Parts: sequence; C-alpha cells; structure tokens
Amino acid sequence: MLTKLSGGRIYDPANGRDGTVGDLFVRDGRIVADPGPGAVPDETHDLSGKVVMAGAIDIHSHIAGGKVNLARLLMAEEHRAAPVAAEGLCRCGGGVASPSTHVTGCRYAQMGYTAAFEPAMLPSNARHAHLEMADIPLIDTGGYLVLGNDDLLLDLLASGAGEEVVADYVGWMLNATRSLAVKAVNPGGINAFKYNQRRLNVDEAGPFHEVTPRRVLTALASAVQRLGIPHPLHLHGFNLGVPGNVEATLDSIEAMDGLRLHLTHVQFHAYGAEGDRRFSSAAARVAEVVNRRPNISVDVGQIMFGQTVTASADTMAQMGNTRLAHPKKWVMMDIECDAGCGVVPFRYRDKAFVNALQWAIGLELFLLIDDPWRIFLTTDHPNGAPFTSYPELIRLLMDRDYRLAKLAELHPAARKHTILETLTREYTLGEIATMTRAAPARILGLSDRGHLGPGAAADITVYTDRPDRRAMFATPDLVFKDGRLIVRDGVVVALVQGRTHVVEPAYDPAIEARIGRYFEERIGQRLRHFRIGEDEIRGGDGLVRHACRLPTDPPGAF
Amino acid sequence: MATHQDVVCPFCGLGCDDLTVKAGRSGLTVVSTDCPIARDGFGRTNPAQTNLTGPPRVGGNVVALDAAVQAAAEALGASRAPLIAGLATDVDGVRAALVLAERVGAVVDHVHSEGLYRNLAVLQRTGWITTTFAELRNRCDLLLVAGPDPAAFHPRLYERWVASRPAFQEAPTREVVFLCGEPQEGTRTALENVSVTVVPGDAARVGEAAAALSAALADPSHAAADIGALAERLRRARYAVVAWAAAGFAGPHADLTVERLVRLVQDVNRHTRCAGLPLTGHDNVVGANQVCTWQLGVPLRASLAGGAPLHDPYRFAWERFMDTADLVLWISAFRPEVPAFPADKPVIALAPPGTAFAAEPAVFIPVGTPGIDHAAHVFRGDTVVAVRTGRLIDRGLPDTAAVLRTIADALPQEAAVC
Repeated sequence: MLTKLSGGRIYDPANGRDGTVGDLFVRDGRIVADPGPGAVPDETHDLSGKVVMAGAIDIHSHIAGGKVNLARLLMAEEHRAAPVAAEGLCRCGGGVASPSTHVTGCRYAQMGYTAAFEPAMLPSNARHAHLEMADIPLIDTGGYLVLGNDDLLLDLLASGAGEEVVADYVGWMLNATRSLAVKAVNPGGINAFKYNQRRLNVDEAGPFHEVTPRRVLTALASAVQRLGIPHPLHLHGFNLGVPGNVEATLDSIEAMDGLRLHLTHVQFHAYGAEGDRRFSSAAARVAEVVNRRPNISVDVGQIMFGQTVTASADTMAQMGNTRLAHPKKWVMMDIECDAGCGVVPFRYRDKAFVNALQWAIGLELFLLIDDPWRIFLTTDHPNGAPFTSYPELIRLLMDRDYRLAKLAELHPAARKHTILETLTREYTLGEIATMTRAAPARILGLSDRGHLGPGAAADITVYTDRPDRRAMFATPDLVFKDGRLIVRDGVVVALVQGRTHVVEPAYDPAIEARIGRYFEERIGQRLRHFRIGEDEIRGGDGLVRHACRLPTDPPGAF
Repeated sequence: MATHQDVVCPFCGLGCDDLTVKAGRSGLTVVSTDCPIARDGFGRTNPAQTNLTGPPRVGGNVVALDAAVQAAAEALGASRAPLIAGLATDVDGVRAALVLAERVGAVVDHVHSEGLYRNLAVLQRTGWITTTFAELRNRCDLLLVAGPDPAAFHPRLYERWVASRPAFQEAPTREVVFLCGEPQEGTRTALENVSVTVVPGDAARVGEAAAALSAALADPSHAAADIGALAERLRRARYAVVAWAAAGFAGPHADLTVERLVRLVQDVNRHTRCAGLPLTGHDNVVGANQVCTWQLGVPLRASLAGGAPLHDPYRFAWERFMDTADLVLWISAFRPEVPAFPADKPVIALAPPGTAFAAEPAVFIPVGTPGIDHAAHVFRGDTVVAVRTGRLIDRGLPDTAAVLRTIADALPQEAAVC
C-alpha cells in the first residue's frame, strides 16, 4: 500500500529540511522515495500548511520496571484521584506522574511521540521491565542497563581486570538483558550506601571493594567505546541535588579525557553553593564546558511545578531526599548486588526558592547550550515532572514572552538568582525537531528512526502551526507509527504494538565462565535462567537490533 | 525416563532454579531436594493420583473445550457483578484475566492476597526499606526473623539464602535471631553452621517486641535484658535484615504488626544499615500484583465495574466480595485446590485436572500448570526478579491465558463495560 502525505512543511534536520514544502511517500511501513508520476497512491493526506516531523523520541523516561510499579503503589492518592476510564481503544488505568501502561503509551502517542526509552533497567529487574514495556501500546521502547554499582564489576576492577575483560562483561550483560545502552547511576555510590556510607567523593575509595567512582566511570565509558555501542555512557552523576555538585559534574567531564559521555538530567547536577542561600545556578559553567566539548551530550531533566514522584536507582541521593517527601512516605530498596531504588513523592512549588531556581536552571541550560544535536528535551519523567508537561516546556523554549511571564510568577529571590531574563533565545521548529527527533535517534544509534528520508520507519507526526506552541505540541493532527495512522486529532484510532530496540555487541565468550560462577555462588541464579531469551521480548515479535560500530570506525565525536 | 536439570520451581516465590526433575510414567519427581512444596507441586502430575485427561465439564457433563468456553462466555456476559479471582497463574494468564475483567467489569483479586496485603497496606501508608534475596545472602551479617518461622511457607529459604557466609562483608560471619518464633527442625539443620539464637515470645505479639526494640535503640535503660541486648546487636550489625512472612501472622489487623517491623527497620537505619524482607510469593501472587499494578495503576483487590479502576483493599478482597458477586471465575493453575464457593452463584473454574470441588462448578476448564505444562513467567517473592519457567511435559492442557483469551473473544459484544 502506498500512502502520500502531500504538501506539508517538512522539518527533517537529519536530511537538511527545515520547513521545506514537499511530499512524503510511505510503503509497507517505510518512507520511500517519490515513486514518480506513474504511481497512484492508495491513500493521500493533504497536509498543506501543516508542520510535518518524524515521530518524537524520548531518550530518558522512567516508564517501566520495579521502581515505576513501586511509584504507582506509593502514589495511591494519585490513582484514587485520577483514574482513567477506557477511551476507545485505550484501556482503562490511571495516574499522571505514575501512569499505567496503557495510559503511558496512549498519552505519548497522543503527543506525537513514537518511542520512549527506560533509562534505568537493573540487570536483575530487566525481565520485569521487558514484560512491562511489552504492555505499553503504540510506542517503541528499550532499556539502558544500569551498571557501575554491581559487586561483580567492582570486584573485577578491584582485582585489576583490564579494559578488555570489563568490556567483555559489559557486552555479555547487554546481550543477556536485551539492552540498548549502558547507564551508570552514581557509580560506586549505591554500592557504598549498602555499607551505610551516605556520601562518596569521586576520588574516594568505596567501602569493601575499595574502588573509586572515577575508576568505575572511566572503565564503563571505555567499555562502551570499545564495544562500539552507539549511545555513549549515560551517566546519572554524583551528588544529585546537592548544592555545589557542579564541581563533580565538571570533574566527570574532565575524567572522560575525550571519551564520549552523556550527562543525564544535568539540571539536577548543575548547582552551585553561592549566594546568600548557598544555592545557585551553575548552568552557565556547565553550558560553557558542554559547548566546548563535542564529546559531551546532555539531557536536561527540567522540573515543572506540581506534584510528582521521584524514582531513582540512586539510593544514596534518594535517602537524603526522604526528608522532603510529599506526602511523607518513601521506599528504599537494596537490590540483588547490582543496584537499588529509591522512590520519594515530591511536590515542586513555584513559591519555594529552591524549586523555582531549579526550574530556571533547567531553562538556562536549554538556552545556553548551543547545539540542539547535543541537548535533549526531558523532564526525567516522572522525577522532574510527568512527560505530559512536554508541550508546556516546548512553549517555554519557543516563546520568550511566555517564559518571562512565567518567571514573574516565581519566588522573587529566585528571579534575582537567574539570568533567565537576559536570555533572548527562542527555539525554532527546526531546533525542536532536532532535539526531540533527529538527535535522539542519532545518539541512540537508531539509524532508521527520527528522520523522514527513504528507508526510515514511517513514524510521522503532523501538527497545525499554532502560535500557542503548547497547544500545537499537545495535540498533533495525525500520528503515524510504522506507516499506520494511530492518532487523529488526539484520538487513538488504531492500537499497534511497538518494538524493543537493542544492541548486541560482540564480546569474548570466555567471560561467561567467570560470570556463571559468580551468579551461582553469589546471585543464586543459573546463568541460563538469568539470560533473557529472544522469544521473551514481545512474545518473540518486535526485537530490533542496532549495529555497533566496528573497531575500525573512527571513534570520538558525533 | 527423561531427566530435566536446572528446573525453575514456580510455586513458593523463592525462585529456586536448580531442581532436578525426572519425568516418567508416574509423572514428575523432584529428586534434588526434599522441599515439600516443590515435591508436591511437581508430583501432582502422577496419573495414578490425578485424572490426567480430565476434560472440560459444563454442569457436570463432559463437553468439548469450545462448548465450555461458550458456556463460560455466556455466563460472564449475563453477570452483573463478576469476581475474577484466584488469579493463581503466570504473567500471561494474569494479563488475559485483566483484559477479560475489563470487558465484563469484574473485581479482581489473588487467592493469597491477604498475606500480601498485610505488607502492601504498610507500603502504601508509610513506605519502607527493603532488600532482596541476593543482598541477604551476600551482605547480611544479622538476620532477625520476626514471628513464626517463614520456612513453613518457603522451605529452602535458609539453605539457599542464609546458610552461606556473607561474601561482601569484611568479616564474613552471620548470625540469625528468631524473635517470637521457634525455628523449625529443618531450619536448625540448614543453619547448623550459623549462630542461631531465639528470643522467645508470643508470636501474636511480635509487633510489640519490635516496638520494644525500637524504644531500646533510643534508650536501652528500660528494656528487658534480652530486648536490650538484641537492640545493641542490631545497632552494631553492618547490614541487618528483618524478615517476616506476614501470611503466618495470626489475628486481625496483622498489618499493624508489619508496620511495627517496618518502623524498627527505619529506626535501625538511623544507626547502621538495615532492611526489611517481607516474604510472600506463593502461586505468583507477587507477579499477579505486579501486572495488575502496571496495567491498572492500582494493585490487586480492584474493581473495574465503574469503567475505571477502583482499588479498595477491604471491599474487594475476594473472600468478602464473593458474597456480593453474582458469578465467580476462579483461576488456580498451580494446584488442584479451590476454596468452597457459595452455593447460590455460578462458578467457572480454571484449574488442573483432578481438582476436587465441594460442589460441581457450572463450568470447569482444565488448564496446565505454569512451569510444568507450559513455559511461563512468574515473579519471585522479593518482587524484583521475574523468572522464566520451562515446559516439562505435554498433557495436552491449554494454558490459562489461551483459555481466557478465547472466553473474551466469545463474549457477547455488548458486554464491554470499562
């Protein structure tokens, strides 16, 4: 079947189109070249005057797994207050900050998103995360594997294992858990918390294994490079939320020594300790370094005001946040000698100085970091805000007057601590398309997503160009998933299943004997049962493998 | 006679994956462990003990599967207040049950949710600090077992997760203290190389003992000698774990006992590391709750009658709602046992062949057991690890999910509620 999308203004940064009027052709779920005047489309959508982009991709959103379910359980009040009735094809469920699987898939698709990635999949919880992701309809998913606090890696490093062995271990784990990328969360810190350490400096040897966080960080970043994994090490850095943590953030960048690194929810890691309240914006410092270092990318983790729930593997940081819990209840969990999780409900208030400044710091980062290919639009859902606040966030980026009006509502002291008023930048539609489509696909190695060139998966979103960018991005006119129309004017019209994106890097299988021994003796699981079979992912239908770079390919920047 | 190695056991939630199971004319026999739950669970495949080919029945008459499915769909379609419970099945079975429940506006619950809810009630009210089995095995230097010995529910708990030394502690020693509960004989045997002490007390008052421990942590001067000494040991531990099996707690409001234990864990955490380990997980109750929570946003004991999920741990507990319901669809894929149902309402039962009923159900559809008749996902009791069980024999039994999907497909169209 041939579908023609005619006459739209196409924003396709990967292919150099910035609002060019043109036609798109879709056949069998893929975008194809113009088949010429002889071909008669089976279906034509007249998109004159409409804005056309690839389906949006969220590179960092906690959508599935143990901590998300714990968040749902803990947010009992939210689910009582915001149940969601079945609506057409979307099944019932509930939640805003902790949405159920159908609500997650349907809300994302209704906003024009066709993929969202779970950025904190623990090895021990990977099977659960995959089972749950398979129940999220409409969008593609995948998981980043959390490493860096696992006792086996720390043990390998303590025993002086070389880069190759570490890379073999990482490669084996990515394959076994069907992951797309490697995530490090407060490397060494979660493990140290299990020994009652509440803080661990970057160059301080951790308890028991006596490995420094810096060593873990560089070992993982090197392993990612050696394995040729498209996405750089995805780092949830040190001292999350602690005033003055910018030093550790900049230190992490320095420690990379040119290796690629993605700093996630960098807003939470861009805090100074200056000023009368000992809490200040260090966004300008972070932005200056990121602008200078093409090996560094970031996503923001913008906070938006209101009730949410924070869910993180970083038990060390989350334990410190428990005193701020709202409502006053929280969950901490030490998990399977690989990581942990902390779930703390939270309400960001615009009249609170710290929250107001956090909001401003996030926006400063967006506006000060120049290259939209290296900064991504996230709220670290649900930690900074639910993903449903993206349209509001896009308006803040594209509309300076609106931004200033919102700034005027904040705690007055916060306004004095931010340079937001002086920042005149307004994101263009092309930049939004880069940061929410082309760049996420490129940095994850999804070569056939995030763009509209021939061969790409036909994940396409069509908007009406409205001056109110929030309204525009909240309700696209049409959303196609793999060539099929799934949303029309905010209504889900077809319920399709997404796919699961993975990488399968090569590694020396000799490592398996050592991992197997460790699993039998320590984890109490047979390796063959730990490894997730291909048939377990979406019932064997829907795994998409992405190529790792060959060692001969040039390493380095984007 | 085939021998299956490294078999995953789906029954009690400990997630043992090291079983050796022999398959012969007398069904399956577990030969690698004495665990009574595993031996019983796999051993129920003996054709001498069960009716291997037990066909579907409607009103006591043997019928073909599609006729039984049709009868079940008609009864569900006519029901105004159905209860879909038992829910003792694998992840796929639970998924299918929830789809069906949404179609007909049912209340859903798991047969073992009472023990689970004593824990979840506390999680939802106050939160908690917990841990998992591998952390227990490798980091715990002091295990405090509160109340009746959980080995009654999880026989290999100590052998698999406690008997070895904690490898990730500088001083790899471990002690186990039983508070208000006597270790079973098998527990003593499994822990023969571990220091075991018993702080005796009334099992029904273990919550009070926990509160006394919390108080003694702050101020030991008023504590009884054994409580004061135990508080000091908790304070000096590097990684203490407080474990309990809430299903074994007697009396009403047992969640308040759990709350005391959870509070004790938080109090010890002010001095050192400590984590709770609420033990549960029979018949995939944890998996059922996980799927329910991710699909509906709310846990088990939910009603889909109003179009959107409504969770009420009191009203929608299956034992209570069974009186209100006008039809019961009961799922028991792990064992040929079902409760006694009220005589005045139709019952649709999905259970293994050979299941005994106090009264003949309106519809009986035999289903396979996850991990025996079909590969399946079930959750371990510590909630984090999902395991994949295999398929060992072919008795020609359909799995729960397949049967439930066929029933949903056969529903009259107007039955859509939610």
